[in-house]
Amino acid sequence: MSADRKVRLTFDGQDITVTVGTSLIQAWIESGRPLVDNVGCMGQGVCGACRVLVRRSGSGTVETALACETPVEDGMQIASVDYFPAHRPHRYDLHAEVEVESAAAKPIDRIFPEAAHCRHCGGCDRACPRDIEVERMVNLAATGEAREAAALFDHCVMCNLCVAACPEDIDPAHLGQFVRRMAAATTTLPVDLDQRLQEIQTGHQPIRRPPSPGRHES
Amino acid sequence: MTAMGVDHATALRSWSARAPAPPATGDLPPAELVRHFHPDHQADHQSELRVGACAGMRCPSGLADLLQANAHIDDVDLAGIRNLHADVLVLGGGAAGVVAALTAARDGAAVMLATKLRLGDGNTVMAEGGIQAAVGADDSLQQHFDDTLAGGHATADPELVAALVSDGPAAIRWLMAEGMAFDQQNDQGDGASTLRRLRPGGTTVARLLSYRDFTGLEMMRALREAVLLQPGVEVRERYAALELLTDPHGRCVGAVLLDLERERLVQVRAGAVILATGGAGRTHLGGNATSNHYGATADGLVLAYRVGACLREIDSFQYHPTGLAWPRHLRGLLITEAVRALGARLVNGDGARFIDELAPRDVVAAAILREIDAGRGVERDGLTGVLLDTPTLERERPGVLQNHLITLVRLARKAGIDPASEPLLIAPTLHYQNGGVAVDTNGQSSIPGLLCAGEIAGGIHGRNRLMGNALLETVVYGRRAGKAAVTTMRNPSGRAVGITHLGDWQRGLIHAGLPLDRRAPVLFPAYGHADIERRIHARRKSAL
Repeated sequence: MSADRKVRLTFDGQDITVTVGTSLIQAWIESGRPLVDNVGCMGQGVCGACRVLVRRSGSGTVETALACETPVEDGMQIASVDYFPAHRPHRYDLHAEVEVESAAAKPIDRIFPEAAHCRHCGGCDRACPRDIEVERMVNLAATGEAREAAALFDHCVMCNLCVAACPEDIDPAHLGQFVRRMAAATTTLPVDLDQRLQEIQTGHQPIRRPPSPGRHES
Repeated sequence: MTAMGVDHATALRSWSARAPAPPATGDLPPAELVRHFHPDHQADHQSELRVGACAGMRCPSGLADLLQANAHIDDVDLAGIRNLHADVLVLGGGAAGVVAALTAARDGAAVMLATKLRLGDGNTVMAEGGIQAAVGADDSLQQHFDDTLAGGHATADPELVAALVSDGPAAIRWLMAEGMAFDQQNDQGDGASTLRRLRPGGTTVARLLSYRDFTGLEMMRALREAVLLQPGVEVRERYAALELLTDPHGRCVGAVLLDLERERLVQVRAGAVILATGGAGRTHLGGNATSNHYGATADGLVLAYRVGACLREIDSFQYHPTGLAWPRHLRGLLITEAVRALGARLVNGDGARFIDELAPRDVVAAAILREIDAGRGVERDGLTGVLLDTPTLERERPGVLQNHLITLVRLARKAGIDPASEPLLIAPTLHYQNGGVAVDTNGQSSIPGLLCAGEIAGGIHGRNRLMGNALLETVVYGRRAGKAAVTTMRNPSGRAVGITHLGDWQRGLIHAGLPLDRRAPVLFPAYGHADIERRIHARRKSAL
């Protein structure tokens, strides 16, 4: 049975022999080694926790990937990319930004001043495991086209690899979230939601409890 | 997965010959199906708790082992360790924890949020479907209330449900103000948008709000930025909670954390503690596959029970009918319910349908397990399930896969399958902890100083949760618990703070004839080989 075929790979400096048809993260687990970090959704590909650098056998280039969705290949070399501590150099208050949105100068120049310094190296694009046009997003944001920039960043999984790749400290992942959050927070409140909130406030949405209430245990 | 099924190649021939398979003739009433085949009702996987506040209550044996385990640490481990302080300590970095932390900090508290993986690593990001809130003109808070109560088989606490649905619209507005996007439509052409609504299973009206098919990811992205930028919140990643701290009056006054990077213990004294540690899927109760995040190991439930908190409905878990059954490395991952809502059928090894695919989740899951049990499942590489007929769906509604089931197609590709030409092999997957720690409408548990928000809290869903009410719960109860923590917090007093509750606990274990060497919380699944004991005691050894 083909499922029994084995491949050999090097993962964080350790030689591992595993069954073909498995993912890199499962290969690490199958090898019996401890797994307490850089792991998350285990295959859905939505959390960006299991970032790795991969070099395939015979290839001269190193690529980024998510270990939970990359199948093992014979001769692969893999290195985990550790997480980034929760430190934010680019600080802002979204609620305050929304209030001054129309009046103030472009907030991106103030909050993410490095965005204008992009040297078009393409490092962020190559780093992104979701093939987002990160550099284009940065350039659009820097020239004030925030909504177009926001649309490009739809598939971000918060892996922060573009942050590591950027030589100008632009923080593309967080800039991307900033333009997305601004776009969402400055959208007019949907009329159905607005209507319902008013009804609740004026007592027009009462809730009748069933005649025999359930248990109250606390 | 011990039962043998029909060999995969044979099953594909039967499927192909009979597609589209005719509707099933239900030969067993739904209640009977559930009673005989749902995992909650498998008596050999259930035990009665013998110690603690809920002695006599039944729950899955695997969970009972954790709830009745000994602590990892003793008093001696606390000698000389670092002391930290917070007004409010939040344990858990998913949506519930982050919302609670944001709320408490904005109400003036000094907040510490500790999470054993990264901020945002939890089940929130994995939620695809959406979030319920009664905003439609054809909908009302009453209908949301009635649907939720009926969906939980009338076992939820009506007051908890009323709080959940009443805060729903405000929760959506709050999320938008934090920068979360929702799908909207502009039908009238007058420039005024409304929220796009879908109809979730078990409801009377379209009420599910969403952002594409990754609503949870969109929510977490916005919340993660918000909390990282929030003054007054200190985020500690890779800090796992091992034990709660108590005072002589039985009040919860903090927690002992294991700093996983430095392999050392710290104790955090806090005016109030909010547990937002999520569910239990990664304990693989009953040996089941799970759709859950790697960190879902019931840690908070274990900690709360050990300090005396009351639990409820902990024998009730939701099994999502359509988890991937093959290939092995993607086993348990979720195929969205939307695929059945769009018309995809379930087919057994004989190419026959066997259930109304849009029956409630517990009924569909039980029906699948019955097919497998009876040898009518489909077997591939030793894994058994039934077929999800995506090719017929695509033939009937061309383009449906690419336009509406993006995540499904991506997942199928990872499995090496083209869902337009080959059905996926699926089986029920452990998805959600319906019950949990008993709370009031502020998320307050039976232990003073201890609050809960999110999946760990019980009573909001009763014995079954509707799609879209989990994300809503994280926001509504995160906000309520965050607010209540600030108004009820007390300065943790003096020298008597510690883990003295363990004395009574250990005596109880000995009385009940339970082992002292089984320890919890486990923090990671067994196959993570975490060796928690070594990490805890590394410092003790180096001191010798």
